[in-house]
Amino acid sequence: MEWVGTDVTVSEVEQRLARLRMEAEAGGTAQRTSVATHIAWVPEQWLPAALEVLRGLAERHPSRTIVLVPEPDASPAAIDAELELSLFPLGEDGRSICTETVLLRLRGARAHAPASIVTPLLVSDLPVFCRWRGEPPFGLSEFEQLLDVVDRLVVDSEEWEDLPFAYKKLAGSLDRAAISDIAWQRLMPWRMALARLWPGIAEASTVRVAGPKADALLLAAWLRTRLRRDDLLLEHDAAAALELVSVDRQPVVPIELDPLTPSDLLSNELDRFGRDAIYEQALKSF
Amino acid sequence: MTELAENPLVEGLELRRRPDPCAMVIFGASGDLAQRKLIPALYALAVRRLLPEHFGVVGVARSEESNEEYVSRMCEAVREHARDEFRQDVWDGLAAGMRYVGADVSGPGGTDPIVAALDELDARRGTAGNRLYYLAIPPSGIAGVVEAMGACRTNTGWTRLVIEKPFGHDLASARELNTMIEQHFAEQEVFRIDHYLGKETVQNMLALRFANGIFEPIWNRQFVDHVQITVAETLGIQNRAAFYEHAGAIRDIFQNHLLQLVALTAMEPPIDFTADSVRNEKVKVLRGLRTPGPREVVRGQYGPGFVEGVEVPGYREEPGVASDSITETFVAAKLSIDNWRWADTPFYVRAGKRLARRETTIAIQFKRAPHPLFGAQGAEGLRPNVLLIHVQPDEGISLAIGAKVPGQGMTIRSVHMDFLYGGAFRTGLPEAYERLILDALLGDATLFTRIDEVEEQWSLVDSIVSAWVRDRPGFPNYAAGAWGPPQADDLVHRDGRSWRRH
Repeated sequence: MEWVGTDVTVSEVEQRLARLRMEAEAGGTAQRTSVATHIAWVPEQWLPAALEVLRGLAERHPSRTIVLVPEPDASPAAIDAELELSLFPLGEDGRSICTETVLLRLRGARAHAPASIVTPLLVSDLPVFCRWRGEPPFGLSEFEQLLDVVDRLVVDSEEWEDLPFAYKKLAGSLDRAAISDIAWQRLMPWRMALARLWPGIAEASTVRVAGPKADALLLAAWLRTRLRRDDLLLEHDAAAALELVSVDRQPVVPIELDPLTPSDLLSNELDRFGRDAIYEQALKSF
Repeated sequence: MTELAENPLVEGLELRRRPDPCAMVIFGASGDLAQRKLIPALYALAVRRLLPEHFGVVGVARSEESNEEYVSRMCEAVREHARDEFRQDVWDGLAAGMRYVGADVSGPGGTDPIVAALDELDARRGTAGNRLYYLAIPPSGIAGVVEAMGACRTNTGWTRLVIEKPFGHDLASARELNTMIEQHFAEQEVFRIDHYLGKETVQNMLALRFANGIFEPIWNRQFVDHVQITVAETLGIQNRAAFYEHAGAIRDIFQNHLLQLVALTAMEPPIDFTADSVRNEKVKVLRGLRTPGPREVVRGQYGPGFVEGVEVPGYREEPGVASDSITETFVAAKLSIDNWRWADTPFYVRAGKRLARRETTIAIQFKRAPHPLFGAQGAEGLRPNVLLIHVQPDEGISLAIGAKVPGQGMTIRSVHMDFLYGGAFRTGLPEAYERLILDALLGDATLFTRIDEVEEQWSLVDSIVSAWVRDRPGFPNYAAGAWGPPQADDLVHRDGRSWRRH
């Protein structure tokens, strides 16, 4: 079930959503069991990838998903909305659960005050996750306002250019929301392998990483903070994906885990409610 | 450099405890349970990388079969019954450690080929002398296997024994069986399976009660009117006539699953979630169960009828069943727990085959609001609050509450707030056997029954059955597809209550 509208108000979006849900329930079988509100801030260039991830996610996390597509240069200022209600069958008795996807194009000045747009659309009393695509504009109103609305900010620092400085800015947001970095999650098999090198690794002098800059920086920050070794050297060779980690020229074999799709990676972050003290410690060291 | 005593790199890593290296020996390896549940459960654990790195399976049965034939038959079983998609690489990993031994352990030298297979697994796959013996065999075969395997115990590694229900057929036989087991295995090495305890919803009962502040204060005689527990099946006895004729519903379901559900519902909060703390509290409930009088127990047997639109024969017409059989296929009882929490709060329980629908539920019915504010007419559609725990199918919890019907008048009716497992957590629920096998490999006995629980369960069943010996019931007394005999309704109607219909 879908609804599309141009130049809409937020209350119109709310009403249309309620109507779609009533239509679904008229079939007598739909049920809304939400576990979270999931906001995604998706500039146009990330939109195809983001929608692909959401498609793989909907069934696993029956949530209300609000995709915000900022178009600050468009005029006139307006909100265009695309609503979609998807039903997923449950068991054998014909019942199903529904998830709601609200895609809002924030045109012109509307892109500067996203918090006031999403707040009326949050499902009451449920945690709010925000997946911010690309590097957040730290200090600007659209990011700072949204940060105060969400319980958890999910980023992927592999998408960032301004490293390691952006980490410092991100660390400044830690007291306002829990933060997850998908790049950090990708390091898991390597961290598990490195942990097995204890106690010898405590004496290591150099770690070499061939992969994205974010991965190299995070891995080195983790080793330095955990081993209390500020003098541990990082040698970094740029590569599109994490290919090699070696400690004092000895290559490390990552622990074999099931490969994760982009949807799995985000899904895992949406399952986390606590803070990751180890990640925060690494982040604060930049 | 600062001295660090422990590995600081493991903190925060998702390291699940992996079981020690070991070999699992399945007795009854050709049977239905092994094919439908055990091997698919091992496969599911392998998919999730939860099995030990060094692991092997020795399948033992009497039939002659080559290793290759057995492995390929189990592969088919996995393809048919596993909940995950078949992955050749995962299966190959599991199958590489699989051995089949055709042996009769009770004969002289019967255990030799098993010992040889285990030694070979120790040497080639590093299973380190640790053994998990899984007895998926009929009760009559248990003693022979326990004695034979007990006799060839060594001092290397640990040994654990997993025993399927039923554990004995009455109190005396359960004690006798246990005495025999005790000669070879210590109590903490014995894992008695009641697979209901491996179900997510049953464990969720503990989460619901002890992780939420709002339920525990009202979980007592002051607020609860009564509790109903239903274990209803639509199936008949299938090919289990030989077993069922001797067991009946009371030994098949009531003695184990049903009483375990009663214990979990009624138990006091344990001090922690360790095996003995949880089981100490359960056994207190079982000890507090008063023996129901003859009027408080109803038994029944199905005659011909219709189940889900299909005409089905009566129990006495099932293959392998005596034409004058007085085995019960239904049992209902009013149980009372003599303690402070539950005094005068009845637990109505029923279990049976060929009933109207398949469901296992625990319904906590609360007392009505003390003062009827809205008049008799307005509240006609209002039923008391019921907290309903669906164990199967459609695992979840629902709470019936009264709500105003929209409109000018003040009419109240009951509505349901539903939490469905499938709706909130879209991960597939693990099969009970996956959890139980993994726990046994890890040596965690929380979800297994301890001997004192089993003894309490049998002593209640014995006292009920002893009253049955004196009279011959007029069977069959309910049609297949009904909710049991009319006497089951009388049991609750006498107290001014009624069974839930759905």
